[in-house]
Amino acid sequence: MKIIVAIKQVPDRDAPVRIAAGSKWIEERELQFAMNEPDAYALEEALELKEKHGGEVIVISAGPERVGTTIREALAKGADRAIHIVCEDLEARDALGVARLLAAAIKQENPDLVLTGLQSEDLGLGQTGVILAELLAMPHSTLILHVEKIDSGIKVKRELEEGWFQSIEMPLPAVLTMQSGGNKLRYATLMGIKRAKTKETRLVAAGDLGAGAASAVVLERIALPRKEKSTQILPGSPKDAAAALVEKLKTEARVL
Amino acid sequence: MNIFLILEESGGHIKKSSWEALGAALKLAPAESVTAVVLGAQTEALAAETAAKGVGKVVRVEHPLLAPYTPDGFIISLEQLIRAEAPAYVVFPHTYQVRDYAPALACRMGQVLIGDVTGVDDGPLFTRQLMQGRLNGSYRHSGNGTCFVSVQAGAFRAVDSGASAPPAEITKFTPTLDATQIRTHPGEPFRDSAQTVDLGSAQRIVSVGRGIKDAEHMGLMQDLATALGAELAASRPICDNGWLPMERQVGSSGQTVSPKLYLAVGISGAIQHLVGMKGSQCIVAINKDPDAPIFEVADYGIVGDLFEAVPALTEAVKAAKQ
Amino acid sequence: MTVLFPIPAEPRHFSILEELLFAALAAVSAYGFWRRFGPILNRILQSKKDADFHFFPIGGRVRDFVWEVVFQAKVIRERPLVGVAHALVFWAFCAFALVTLNHCATVFGIGFLDPAGRVGRWYFYFAGIFAVACAAGIAGLFVRRFLVQPKWLGELSWQSGLIALLIFVLMVTYLAAFFVADGSGAVRALWWAHMLTLLVFLPLIPHTKHLHLMLSPFTVFLSRGAFSRIPPLIGDEDFGLVAGKDLTRLVSLQAYSCVECGRCMEHCPANNTGKQLNPKEIVLGLRGYLNEYGPTSEEPLLGKYNAQEAVFQCTTCGACEFQCPVGIEHLPVLIGLRRGAVNTGAWEDDHGAKLFLALERGSNALGISPDERDKFIEKNSLPIFDGTQEYCLWLGCMGSYDPKGREIVLALVRVMRFLGVSFGVLRKERCSGDPVRRLGNDLVFQQLAEANLEALTQNKVKKIVSICPHCVRTIQEDWKAFGTPPEVEHHSEFLARFGDQLPSVKNQETPDQKKIAFHDPCYLGRYRNVYDEPRKVAALAGELVEAPRSRERSFCCGAGGGLSFLGEETGERVSHVRAAELAGTGAGIVGTACPFCNTMFRDALAERGEGAPELLDIAQLAARGLQKDGKG
Repeated sequence: MKIIVAIKQVPDRDAPVRIAAGSKWIEERELQFAMNEPDAYALEEALELKEKHGGEVIVISAGPERVGTTIREALAKGADRAIHIVCEDLEARDALGVARLLAAAIKQENPDLVLTGLQSEDLGLGQTGVILAELLAMPHSTLILHVEKIDSGIKVKRELEEGWFQSIEMPLPAVLTMQSGGNKLRYATLMGIKRAKTKETRLVAAGDLGAGAASAVVLERIALPRKEKSTQILPGSPKDAAAALVEKLKTEARVL
Repeated sequence: MNIFLILEESGGHIKKSSWEALGAALKLAPAESVTAVVLGAQTEALAAETAAKGVGKVVRVEHPLLAPYTPDGFIISLEQLIRAEAPAYVVFPHTYQVRDYAPALACRMGQVLIGDVTGVDDGPLFTRQLMQGRLNGSYRHSGNGTCFVSVQAGAFRAVDSGASAPPAEITKFTPTLDATQIRTHPGEPFRDSAQTVDLGSAQRIVSVGRGIKDAEHMGLMQDLATALGAELAASRPICDNGWLPMERQVGSSGQTVSPKLYLAVGISGAIQHLVGMKGSQCIVAINKDPDAPIFEVADYGIVGDLFEAVPALTEAVKAAKQ
Repeated sequence: MTVLFPIPAEPRHFSILEELLFAALAAVSAYGFWRRFGPILNRILQSKKDADFHFFPIGGRVRDFVWEVVFQAKVIRERPLVGVAHALVFWAFCAFALVTLNHCATVFGIGFLDPAGRVGRWYFYFAGIFAVACAAGIAGLFVRRFLVQPKWLGELSWQSGLIALLIFVLMVTYLAAFFVADGSGAVRALWWAHMLTLLVFLPLIPHTKHLHLMLSPFTVFLSRGAFSRIPPLIGDEDFGLVAGKDLTRLVSLQAYSCVECGRCMEHCPANNTGKQLNPKEIVLGLRGYLNEYGPTSEEPLLGKYNAQEAVFQCTTCGACEFQCPVGIEHLPVLIGLRRGAVNTGAWEDDHGAKLFLALERGSNALGISPDERDKFIEKNSLPIFDGTQEYCLWLGCMGSYDPKGREIVLALVRVMRFLGVSFGVLRKERCSGDPVRRLGNDLVFQQLAEANLEALTQNKVKKIVSICPHCVRTIQEDWKAFGTPPEVEHHSEFLARFGDQLPSVKNQETPDQKKIAFHDPCYLGRYRNVYDEPRKVAALAGELVEAPRSRERSFCCGAGGGLSFLGEETGERVSHVRAAELAGTGAGIVGTACPFCNTMFRDALAERGEGAPELLDIAQLAARGLQKDGKG
């Protein structure tokens, strides 16, 4: 199976969130970056499929030079080769613009299966994979926990709301967006990193792909949310406190 | 201005999140301008339920191939309807199902979905969360054509009823659909085996600590868990004593959980426990020690005797459900 | 004179036949010896060269050799009675060197020690005394092994019995010569009995653990030079101890030196609590591997002779390496085996993967958001290190996030403020890397060490004081492979320096009556040789009482080696066993100097119910003497 995994490099989850001048994005100077975690699960599923059925796992990522570190990490974990779409202005593109870039490069590879993470930890749009399927004219499904190869294509386990699941069958080639937690992530090893040095990363300039960047949706500005997390101790007798708690859980936290 | 509201059903009824989406839609235009859309193989009852909500029109998009849900079926049908009616906005509830097809639908129309919106401001500017809730971003639709928006569950008040308004006009739209166009074949929904305790996917957890003092008081905790529809879990010492099975242990040597609601009762908050539950969306702590470390990570806390607080809470939860 | 210094009788003349017979038997014996010893020596020499072995400076080596081999200090100190018995046998062997040589020489007529001569007679008498001591010693050891049967010695082995018998016969045949008439037939018989025993003994040496006779002096002399000295990985294909070809000469030499005494096993916390790990079996497993596959094999080391599960039960407490009388260094081997499994991805463990993933992306081993550390610093108004203060107070993961660890930090801060010492905490800290270093993940460790070294340089940190012995060890020793770490000390060393300035509770009106049982942390005691400083500090708060196993023999709390981040342990819980021992001293307070020990004992002591001792770090004990306002 020839599997392509689209991965995104995102700011570290622990990264300090400081709004840059112009209020369009956060200050990137002191940021550490890491692989988007749902993409790590997608990569893990791809590697497991390769281990079972043979084939090739190719990672593709768009972004500036620093994305190379995350690509190397993917190669270290077991991907066979990589494609880096060098793009300096990824933020200026909307989800369709980004998907167009990826689709243009992926089309050339003719894969059997394309996997992406469910959503990214920075923008959290959750759309790239679905749009990719549309652009590549492939069937797709989302929130996938597990992929199984069958004669007619693949059978996947999809997560539904409230603890329900569903099996879906579809032919290949197909696109899937992967939910976190469906499998166990492998850790990067020294051996993996050393081997990664010999694996190919093909650089492609975004401009060469002929993918239009015209934006239908624009991020006007960003702001810090008003409420800061603090502990609310509910006062009064146990009865009063309990009643107040239920009210808060219903209306404020919205978990009831 | 015409606004489409795409409703979603579950078990023969429209889901609450759809009425919340209606609440959001009403920020863009008055109720008379809203056309509610129901899709499926049999939509008569759904349409009737919808017509009473005070919307302007109801459209039944009906076709045998629209049940069960498939992205191909919904995308093709809605594309035909949208091209025919050219609404200014199409509003969805942001559900798993919508995430599965709406982005592709928007793409087909040369648009991009503005998803998981938590607020609508003048402009209109749509607010959505970034960086796992640490930032808010304001988005606007640039360019021409239909604007696709999906709305976060719980972000808007659900519209109760439009009892005062006359029932809406119901029309039927039959899309042109062929079985060969449906490329994915879903099976029946199922639950994972009921025997194994899967705390990892539990949405609500009531967790018991040493404060419970004795196994005989476990009944109290079970009552609360049942009332909340929650799973019962515990810190290490409780499982060591055999008061709850080891598989219910939350912590560094047990399970890591991230439910929507985590209630820590009589748990002090040692690091071995914290690492197992710190990812929970909303943490509530009940402990008689005001200095217990658990309060550092809790969103809400009750400082008091759990033997009084827990029964009171169980009653309050039951009352709220009615 | 003759009565006081008897002379042993010696055959004066040997026939040609006897000379030829002896020569032939000696040749056979030597051949038998070499046939077995040769390949062993070969395997050791064919092993990979040790990358970081430095023969010089030689002073330490000579000192250790004299102390441990010549004086048998470790052998005696750790098991006194048995140790003395062995020492006597060893010294007898040394004393007998010339006797044996002379015995061989006489058969060819070139004996050089005349039993009647001045030197000769003193010497033979001197050897005779040792012979008596040796015979007594070996008889005692025989009784211990075959009648008492301590479990450390493993299954009864007939080879040990045979060797003991041979040694006994050697001594008896020597001593008997003092009592037979010169020139009688018995003299010749005794000589032949003695020499035949020797010739039987010689080829047996390389077949049994008595190989240590040949090897252990070299093993002790050629040690790595420091406790738990982990060698660096060299080149792109070195991942640790994966297969036979990764075994180095030192490891092979040590594997063949094992005398199977079981001292390592006796003191191992894992072995003492029903786990599979047995440090003696680890070493003997390597020996078995080398015998079957050799030092150039690709066969995995963790397979037939050693189990992966056992290797990952080690807390790296170092009791094994500390106890070994023949110089085997268990820690680099255990960590090397772990490296081989982790660096190649062969170790599949959910908790281990979680730890590695947490440190791949995040700043701390607990996977907690660093916002929590920021909140702690802000809430307690801890000063931020800006290069102007004298000390950088390193919080570590436990000090930053663990409730107990934080209490220790705050107690130390109170004391430092009282002492007027300038300090600050770093705005951002990354894990020192101790757990991943001990678990063998060199990729993550390198990333952490390099990032930390750069951050410390940028922040102009010159001196660090830390509450955690693991951080101290890792910063001072393990980071060295990637740069020059700043000076670092443990807070017990820091506080002990100011001991006189700190008020003792004994000065207060109602002194605390509770006795304090101080638990020596492995990484402070055996790893750093710091035993007195924490006691000096703890003594400020009361009278000390020693646990049965303390100082160099302290019994691990169970958290080390990355184990506090892994899942359930099998068998008894190490922490509970140690907590019971500490509580059993009758002390009202258990004193600790490591946040991991503190956290491990927290639950263990709490489970003992109402009468359980209090659990306090030495910083908290030192702070007790301060009044509420922080003044003395």
